[in-house]
Amino acid sequence: MNNNSIVKRITVLMLISIMSFSLVACNDKDSSKVKESTQIVENAHGKYTEEITYTLGRLTVQNSKLPEGDTYENNAYTRFVKEKLNAVCVDAFEANGEDYDRQVSLAISSGDLPDMMRVGDKNILDELVENDLIADLTEVYDNYGSDYLKSIYDSYDGRALDTAMYDGKLMALPGTNVDSAPSEVWIRQDWLDKLDIIIDEDGNGCITIEELEMVAKTFREKDPGNSGNPVGIPLAYWLNSNDYGGSNHCMTGIANAFGAYPKLWLQDEGGNIYYGSTTKETKEALGVVKKWYQEGILDPQFGTRTWDDITALLINGQSGIVFGAWHIPDWLLNNIRAMDNNAVFSAYVIEDENGKANVFHNNASNGFIVVRKGYEYPELAIKIANIFYDEFANSKTLATDAPEVAKYHVDAVDGAARPFNIEINKYTSLLDDYSDIRRGVNGEIPVEEARTVESRVIIGNVTKYLKDYENSNVTDWAKYHSRMKGVALIEKLTNEGTFNWVNPVFWGTTDTMKTNWANLEKLEEEMFIKIIIGAAPLDDFDTFVNDWNKQGGAQIIKEIQETLK
Amino acid sequence: MKTLIKNVKIAKSGAMYHTMMIPGIIFLLIFSYIPMFGIIMAFQDYVPAKGIFCSNFVGLKHFMYMISLPDIAQIVKNTLIIAVGKILIGTFMAIAFSILLNEISKKFLKKTVQTIVYMPHFLSWVVLAAVVVNMFNLDGTINQILVSFGLDKINFMGSNRWFRPLIVGTDVWKEFGYNSVVYLAAITAIDPGLHEAAAIDGASWWRRVINITIPGMLPIILLMAAMSLTSILSAGFDQIYNLYTPMVYETGDVLDTYVYRIGLVGRQYSFATAVGLFKSVIGMILMLTANGLAKKYTDRKIF
Repeated sequence: MNNNSIVKRITVLMLISIMSFSLVACNDKDSSKVKESTQIVENAHGKYTEEITYTLGRLTVQNSKLPEGDTYENNAYTRFVKEKLNAVCVDAFEANGEDYDRQVSLAISSGDLPDMMRVGDKNILDELVENDLIADLTEVYDNYGSDYLKSIYDSYDGRALDTAMYDGKLMALPGTNVDSAPSEVWIRQDWLDKLDIIIDEDGNGCITIEELEMVAKTFREKDPGNSGNPVGIPLAYWLNSNDYGGSNHCMTGIANAFGAYPKLWLQDEGGNIYYGSTTKETKEALGVVKKWYQEGILDPQFGTRTWDDITALLINGQSGIVFGAWHIPDWLLNNIRAMDNNAVFSAYVIEDENGKANVFHNNASNGFIVVRKGYEYPELAIKIANIFYDEFANSKTLATDAPEVAKYHVDAVDGAARPFNIEINKYTSLLDDYSDIRRGVNGEIPVEEARTVESRVIIGNVTKYLKDYENSNVTDWAKYHSRMKGVALIEKLTNEGTFNWVNPVFWGTTDTMKTNWANLEKLEEEMFIKIIIGAAPLDDFDTFVNDWNKQGGAQIIKEIQETLK
Repeated sequence: MKTLIKNVKIAKSGAMYHTMMIPGIIFLLIFSYIPMFGIIMAFQDYVPAKGIFCSNFVGLKHFMYMISLPDIAQIVKNTLIIAVGKILIGTFMAIAFSILLNEISKKFLKKTVQTIVYMPHFLSWVVLAAVVVNMFNLDGTINQILVSFGLDKINFMGSNRWFRPLIVGTDVWKEFGYNSVVYLAAITAIDPGLHEAAAIDGASWWRRVINITIPGMLPIILLMAAMSLTSILSAGFDQIYNLYTPMVYETGDVLDTYVYRIGLVGRQYSFATAVGLFKSVIGMILMLTANGLAKKYTDRKIF
């Protein structure tokens, strides 16, 4: 390397740097200049005259059940949108679970957003708004949202839309989140029968901690699944969830029975904010799980198992006890039934000492659809929402209007195949739909009278299952379990007044949370695991509470107190 | 004839060699030099929408924050233990292996063994992690062997005592074959006359290794060791990320994984950049020091 070429290289470098600096001047360039849409469409369901495209960030699921040849980008739903609106879907990225959140983070950091995407996290939405990256949807929602769509949001008294409101502007279309409480404990009924175990003798739909212990112990000793290596109760290492929908493999149901609400922000009678993971009730619940670990009732490999590992344990018949919301038969337990024709589950709630089921209200929104600032057709997002959450939900003639879509419903293709992987349902929809299904199955109402397409399909599934449950297919089995056991339990507990509701007061992110939360979360996860596996005594919980307060927790509580004033 | 002379001229002038460098230089520019502007982020409160030219400067705030983190000492300690363990044991294994392999006279056998130990280097940790987990978890192969000898099971994946050895061990296993290439080349460069002379003087094989082979390899060994110092604060993100759980944060959480969780998942880009810069600076200082020492003692230098 002679000196000459070094000089040359340095020169080139200098040039490049000067160029790149001069390219980016620091003016407040108005990226929000929307090209005036060339096509003005008056009504809410109108079709664009020329074909337009929209790029999507897609949250996928592991087992979508999409028919052969269909993809997330090109399936009955997206084809219907194409036909109906003349809009073509192009997926900017598809990912599942945590990977999706990572993709969204990357899209934001590179400043290269898809036209529309699902955002899971309120703080990501905050960030998008702060950085002025997404479009204000207030007007398009008012102008294009169908009456029914608006009535859904209205059923939450503004609680759902408020989560996407910034200075009175609607910055995203929030997915609604009906209360899906409680975290039910699903137990292999076929194993209970095999071993002659009887639980819930008072028939209130709840079992005690002791009963659960007894069942887990017996399952471990007798190995009814003939796996050769039974493990008792497997739990995921993150232990708790602040949303029942995501509470599978969590101890949320156990904690609630002690009046503990980990990972939630609550308010005591004196108006003081506190964090559920730091209460003595949580300590008590941890003590129980710790005892289980010592006695071998808890999976001995607790702490190193991934979510998939735990699912595998269930499928292999090493465990017959699963925690999760009412809908897990549809997407989790169905895998167990697919492997074992005899698998039947019963759902219970763990009761507290007074025989009550302690539950918390969910955050009213779950997931947001945002539209990139500068996208030419922001109203398209609302139109798509109209199709999926109004038209499809209420259509009585779906089978003739959109046969392909109707078939998806029958085949139980996962909702992730829709352009927007969010749900927009009325606040009371869970029990409303269930009462339709129950009456339809019992023959009290004709099937056509059920309010939603989905309910009508499910009545068919359940009827088929009941006719010949020994030879039923997995979908019928799953729908029967999720509705006639999962939701039926919720209806029963609601009607009998067994629920004791708690209302979390804060779902957002404060300033200190932005910097310290990851660290506090690590502190919590690490400490809880250590306590359970006996690496730390239970009393170290008090040290954890101190550390948690010192390392930003106390400050965060102050900040939340401020925002609630 | 004329063209031939012209070609010879071109070849002599070295222009050919310089042209061959162009792809590499372009690659370096695009992937190493231009991204360096991103370092600015470490001194700003970076906001993606504003970009690195419009975000506010905050000086050393993120570095201060890094030092103030309660876990930082533990994390740096983990990083150093794992990285140093990998460098020392990995280098030792590669050298030993290359010396032993060199003794095999059957070419076919030599090549076969080499290929076998190369193999794991080309597999990604995502794949290997699954293999490692199946070997070392509670119901894994290793534990089944332990049980058959009447010993207790060990929860390798969840034990703070075993996690670091597991990380170092599996990384050495994966890389030593590939790393031994350089050392093999160094051994073949040693004058065989020396060995012959020593053998005539009655030196044993062991003596010859100690007094001829190793001194002959020493410059390369030092060079490689100096080079590996640059990665002293990178303990291997892919490997650890695919194997750890909160149970072993205490011993297995390293700078890279910590920054990943706090920086990318928590979307604190500036902080992540600051830590990355900190790592690079420490790595550079160490390498320059090592380079200086290498120059002083072996008359060889990296640059």
